[in-house]
Amino acid sequence: MNAALNDIVDFIKVIPPFNLLNDQDCHLIAKRTSIGYYRNETILNVHQNDQVMLYIVKKGVIAYYDNAGELQGKFSEGDLCSVLCRPDTERLQISLRVEEDCLLYAIDFNELEELLTEQPTALQFLLQTAPQRLQNTMGAITESALIASSLTNAPITDYYNSPAITITTQASIKDAAKYMTEKGVSCLVIMADEQPAGIVTDKDIRRRCVAEGLNIQHAVTDIMTANMATIDINLCGHDALALMISQRIHHLPVTKYGALVGMLTATDLMNQEGHHAVNLSSVIHKASSVDVLVELSLMLPKLQVSMAKLGASADYLGKNISALTMAFTIRLIELAEQKLGNAPVGYAWLCAGSQARQEQLVYSDQDNALIIDDSATPEQEAWFEAFAHFVCDGLAACGYIYCPGNIMATNTQWRQKKRVWQGYFNDWVTQPDPQALLNSSVFFDLATVYGDSSLLQDVRRNMLAKTQKNTLFQAHLSRNALLQKPPLGFFRDFVLIQDGNNKKGLDLKHNGLAPIINLARIYALAEGIEDVNTIMRLRLAAGTPSLSRTESANLIDAFELLGMLRAEHQAKQLIKGEEADSYLLPKEISRLEREHLKDAFKVIKAMQSYRQMV
Amino acid sequence: MNLIKSFFSLEKQRKRLLSKAPEGALKQYLSVPIIDLEQPIMDSDILAVDFETTGLNAKQDNILSIGYVALAASQIRLDSCYHQIVAAHCQLEDDNVTIHTITDQEKASGRPLASVVEDLLTALAGKAMLVHYAQIEKNFLEQACIKLYGMAPVFPIIDTLALAKKRHDRCSQAYSPSTLHLTSLRDEYGLPHYAAHNALNDAIATAELFMAKIQHSELKGDTKLKSLITSAFS
Repeated sequence: MNAALNDIVDFIKVIPPFNLLNDQDCHLIAKRTSIGYYRNETILNVHQNDQVMLYIVKKGVIAYYDNAGELQGKFSEGDLCSVLCRPDTERLQISLRVEEDCLLYAIDFNELEELLTEQPTALQFLLQTAPQRLQNTMGAITESALIASSLTNAPITDYYNSPAITITTQASIKDAAKYMTEKGVSCLVIMADEQPAGIVTDKDIRRRCVAEGLNIQHAVTDIMTANMATIDINLCGHDALALMISQRIHHLPVTKYGALVGMLTATDLMNQEGHHAVNLSSVIHKASSVDVLVELSLMLPKLQVSMAKLGASADYLGKNISALTMAFTIRLIELAEQKLGNAPVGYAWLCAGSQARQEQLVYSDQDNALIIDDSATPEQEAWFEAFAHFVCDGLAACGYIYCPGNIMATNTQWRQKKRVWQGYFNDWVTQPDPQALLNSSVFFDLATVYGDSSLLQDVRRNMLAKTQKNTLFQAHLSRNALLQKPPLGFFRDFVLIQDGNNKKGLDLKHNGLAPIINLARIYALAEGIEDVNTIMRLRLAAGTPSLSRTESANLIDAFELLGMLRAEHQAKQLIKGEEADSYLLPKEISRLEREHLKDAFKVIKAMQSYRQMV
Repeated sequence: MNLIKSFFSLEKQRKRLLSKAPEGALKQYLSVPIIDLEQPIMDSDILAVDFETTGLNAKQDNILSIGYVALAASQIRLDSCYHQIVAAHCQLEDDNVTIHTITDQEKASGRPLASVVEDLLTALAGKAMLVHYAQIEKNFLEQACIKLYGMAPVFPIIDTLALAKKRHDRCSQAYSPSTLHLTSLRDEYGLPHYAAHNALNDAIATAELFMAKIQHSELKGDTKLKSLITSAFS
């Protein structure tokens, strides 16, 4: 190695994916580099001959545009212009223009591919599309979450499922798939003469059968993994985890004296960490006064931090925090009924927004509403006013600030009989003016916290029947929902937005999560899906005319990535005793995280522009 | 001096020297014709060169290390980069050690001057030599050749310092000599700093500065190479 090139090697080796390589490999790459200087406004020739050049910006700025001349992103110091590694079909759509005098490192991509043959991960990073990369990232994150989790020395018996679900070697792939569905499991152990012969998982069916076009009548043994890893029942959670990570597997048959006694999955290990939340919610249910609840609410930020530190996914975090908010609300309702007497007629206490979607984190504002049975008299309705004030004030005391948009049960408009609610939804769907669209985006995400859940169900079914047929309403809602756009990417230490302007920080909530939430809502309304949780909506919409399975998976990956970054960001703030927000500064995140975020933005943008065309 | 005449002489002189040159690297260098000085700079093969030396006097001081890199079709080709420490007999003086960060130990790992100069001459054949402040590289290389082969050859040299000086001299404003330092000139074009100061980094830095100068209108890409040759003769 020529130490004199160290400056260049040091520059290259921190740029993803070269950060995966050792110094020696980076040195080889440096040796294949040529340096050029380009003036402002130069159009870079990216498709000369057959030679594909990969550029790294040493100094200056390059902007890139699509066919229509729309700005797609910018590259500055230390950025690898990875758009140039795309297949020709994509690459030829891109044009690059120097925006500030540039010193560019150029590497012949074919030569680089050769250098990286031993480094498939690095090469993949360059070759894959944004959704593919995002998928890998989320896969790896789930695994490292497993490593980080504090599985102590608890024995495997604390986690595993017994008995293991098995099928014989005579079964076909179809039999296996049907049986797995019936049993609700993600894997089966294949038995030959009462002895385990192999294992088959969801993934095997996907990869070895469906993707390969294998006939599902083939024997399940054709796609199973023989010589599977197993774990002895006397070992602990940690050992199981270590084995799963080293073997890159998510399912471990458990054995006792060599005989199959159960199955342990990665999910089982993860779920183990949820006990704190369960404990807290049982204490909430026993609280004797609002003061006690206020005291307990102080634990919420700590709980969020500890769950985030354990590597819990954003989905898991949101579900737990939302469940606790629900527990607080229910306890407040019970206390209100103790004070005011029982409700005169049936009702449903509803929550809206992130809480309804089960995506809430601490320091959220309260969004709630009341549906009252149609039989209520005006005097009876008055009871509900006092009731609503008691609960909303109680929530405010517990840290859930009053909704700035006054979407609360204390507001007469949102404390109405079922009949009135049905009228509201009818109007919103038939006359989608801006206010109606705004209301619909809040009230289409509703969940019953307490009371007669059939009230909301009736209203919702009635509404979905209308939205599903009303394509004009869908179009209006889409247009409205697409107003919140993800940024293009990063530019030095700024966030680059659509018009080429810069912003200081990234609003993960409004410019990342909200666009996906909005898309999921549109799919749900178009397909008549009752679920309100974003990931569930995306899962259920997968394979419908609104959304393909791949697109669904891509959006879920993006949603989880953004949620995770928000949870990490909030954990940092909460540890410092600050109020948690969703405003991320580019300086806070690594280069690699920036790349991941850019991939997520691309996924969202693709789905938004697709929706725009519909 | 009449420029045109001097370039004719450059090629003529090469031939004259070739006939007298002893067998070896120098003769091989001289057997390749001087680069066509009528061609545009954009198309010219150039070798950016930098020496680290123990002092400024080529007759007394020694070459510590040599670095070079080729510039072709307006691209610095790092696959051609070269950096070699020269084994010398004298002890390093403390002052220079801090500048060049070459320690005695490293110097011990160096190669003899003859072999390093041979590498350089091979790489230089048929190319224009690009340096910043030609006096150092030109004088030290000539001295080395005289020592090794008994005679000094001719080199077509482009000197970024001389080019910058010419530009500054045209302006009536007075300027400090430090504005002609390599780092100051690079700052003018917003070129980044290199952390380490060594012969190869300086050669690359000089080549980058030269490319920036070409791209900025002061030097047109189709400018003929000969108009840049600042020093050709010993």
